[in-house]
Amino acid sequence: MSNGAPHADVVPMQGNATSGHFRSAWRRFSNAIIGLSILFALWWIGGYFIYLNPHTTHFASFGPIPTLQAFPEMWASGSIQSAILASGYRLGVGLLIAVVIGVPVGIFMGRSKKFRELSNSPFQLLRMISPLSWMPLAVLVFFSWNQSIIFLIAIASVWPVAYATAAGLAKVDPSWFKVARNLGAKPWHMVTAIIMPAIAFDIFTGIRLALGIAWVVLVPAEFLGVTSGLGYAIEDARESLAYDHLTAMVLVIGIIGWILDSACVLLIKRFSWHHSG
Amino acid sequence: MNERTLSTNVNGFQYSRVLMYVGGGISNFFLGLALLFGLWWAGIYFVSSDPTMAHFADFGPIPAFKAIGFAWEDGLIQRAIESSGYRLGLGLLIAIVIGVPIGILMGRSRLFRELSNAPFQLLRMISPLSWEPIAVIVFVTWEQAIIFLIAIASVWPVAFATASGLAKVDPAWFKVARNLGAKRWHMLTQIIVPAIAFDVLTGIRLALGVAWIVLVPAEFLGVDSGLGYTIQDARETLQYDYLMAMVLIIGAIGYFLDGAIVLLIKRFSWTRGEV
Repeated sequence: MSNGAPHADVVPMQGNATSGHFRSAWRRFSNAIIGLSILFALWWIGGYFIYLNPHTTHFASFGPIPTLQAFPEMWASGSIQSAILASGYRLGVGLLIAVVIGVPVGIFMGRSKKFRELSNSPFQLLRMISPLSWMPLAVLVFFSWNQSIIFLIAIASVWPVAYATAAGLAKVDPSWFKVARNLGAKPWHMVTAIIMPAIAFDIFTGIRLALGIAWVVLVPAEFLGVTSGLGYAIEDARESLAYDHLTAMVLVIGIIGWILDSACVLLIKRFSWHHSG
Repeated sequence: MNERTLSTNVNGFQYSRVLMYVGGGISNFFLGLALLFGLWWAGIYFVSSDPTMAHFADFGPIPAFKAIGFAWEDGLIQRAIESSGYRLGLGLLIAIVIGVPIGILMGRSRLFRELSNAPFQLLRMISPLSWEPIAVIVFVTWEQAIIFLIAIASVWPVAFATASGLAKVDPAWFKVARNLGAKRWHMLTQIIVPAIAFDVLTGIRLALGVAWIVLVPAEFLGVDSGLGYTIQDARETLQYDYLMAMVLIIGAIGYFLDGAIVLLIKRFSWTRGEV
C-alpha cells in the first residue's frame, strides 16, 4: 500500500515487533486487493447496466472486460508506451523548471521578511490564475505546442514548490544559523550544510503537491495542438469511437499517477527527520 | 508532526497553512501588486518596442484595464462570472455532500479506510479532465458534464481532509460523551462537526484550488458561457486586450474566493498553538 504509514493503533510490542508489523502489513495489503476488486466489480455492474439499456448498448465497451482486453493490443502496438514517453517528457521538464525556479524563490521568501510580504499579493494573484487560461498566451509566445505545454506545467507547479520550501525554512531553528556562523560557515555552506538537509522533506512535500496539480493540467493541455501524449490518446480514442481504448487510457493515467505519487511519498519518508511527535 | 502526517491529506494541510502564514500589511499588499503591474508594463513595453513585435502591445496592462471597463459595461464579465460561478458552486456542493460523509466513514472505520485506500488513490490520480469524454456521453448536457468534472476533481481533498480531521479527534471525547448519555446523533452534532469544521474547510480550500484549475479547460469545449469560454473566444477573435482582462479577472476572483475561505478557516480554528 502506498501510503502505508503505520497507524497509531497498530504499534506492536517490542518483543514481537517484526511479526506484528508483518501481520498489519499483510492485512493492509489484502484489504487493498479486496478494495480494488470491489471497484472493478462496481465498474462491471455499471458497464452491464449500460449494455442492458438499448439506448446505450453501443457504449458497452466502457466495461472493465473490453478495457482489459484492449490493453495487450495497445501495448503491442506501442501506443501506451509512446503516450507515456511523450507525456513523461513534458511532465518531467515542466516539474524540473518549477523546482529550479521554485526552490530559490522559496528560500528567498523564507529568509527575507521584506520579500515575503512584498511578494505575497502578486504571487497569490498569479497562483489563482487558472493555469490553462495562460494557454492562449503561451501558444503565441512559444514556438511549439510542446514548449507551451511545458510552460503550463511549470507555471502550475511552481507555487506549491516555492511555498512548501518557504514553510520548511520557517521551521528551521534560527540558532542553527548562529552556530554555523560561529563555526565559520560561508553563505554557501549555509545552503548546502543547513538549509538543504533541513528542508529536503518540505521540498519533496511541495513536489508531491506540484505533481498532483501538474497531473491535472497535463491532460487538458494535451487535448489541443499536439499529436502525442496521454491527453491526445484519450481525445483520439474518443473521436475514433474506440471506447475500450478510451477507458484503458483513463486506467493507465490513474495507475501512473498513483505510482508517481507513491514514489514522492517514499522520497518524503526517506528525507523526513521529524520522527517523534 | 507524527507519521500519519505523511498520508495523502495532511500534505495539503501544510500547504494551506503555509499559504496563510505568509502575508503582510496593507501597504505591502498594494506595493507588491504595483511591482507586478510595473514589471508587466515594462516587459510588454520592451517587447513591443521591436517593430516586428508591435502587435504585442495589446497584451500590456493599460489595454487590459481599459478592456475590463468595456467588458463590464457590456455585462460580459458579469455573465461569465455568473455561469462559471453556478458550475463551480454546484460542483463544490456535490463534492462536499459526498466527500464529508465518506471522510467521516474513513476516519471512524479502519476496515473502510483500508478497503477504500487503494481504489480511492487510483481514482484520485485519474486526471479529472480525462473523465471528460465519458462525462459528455453519460450526461445529457455539457453543463452537467462540467459540474461532474468539478465535483469529481474536488471530492478527494474534501474526503481526505475530513478523515484526517477525525483522526486528530481525541477518542476520550467520545467516551466522555457516551458516559454523559450522548446518542449517536449527538456525537455527530456535538463532537464530530465542531471538531472537524476546521479540517473540512481546509479541504474545501484545497478543493477550490483544484476546481479552479479544472473549470477553465472544461469550459473551453462545448459551452458558450463562462470564464473559460470567454478566454477562448477572445483568443479566436484576436482581442488580446480582452484576453488579458479575463486572465486578470480569473486571478482576482480566485484570490478573492481563496481569501474568503481563509477567513472561514481562521474563524473555525481551535488549534491556535500550531502553525
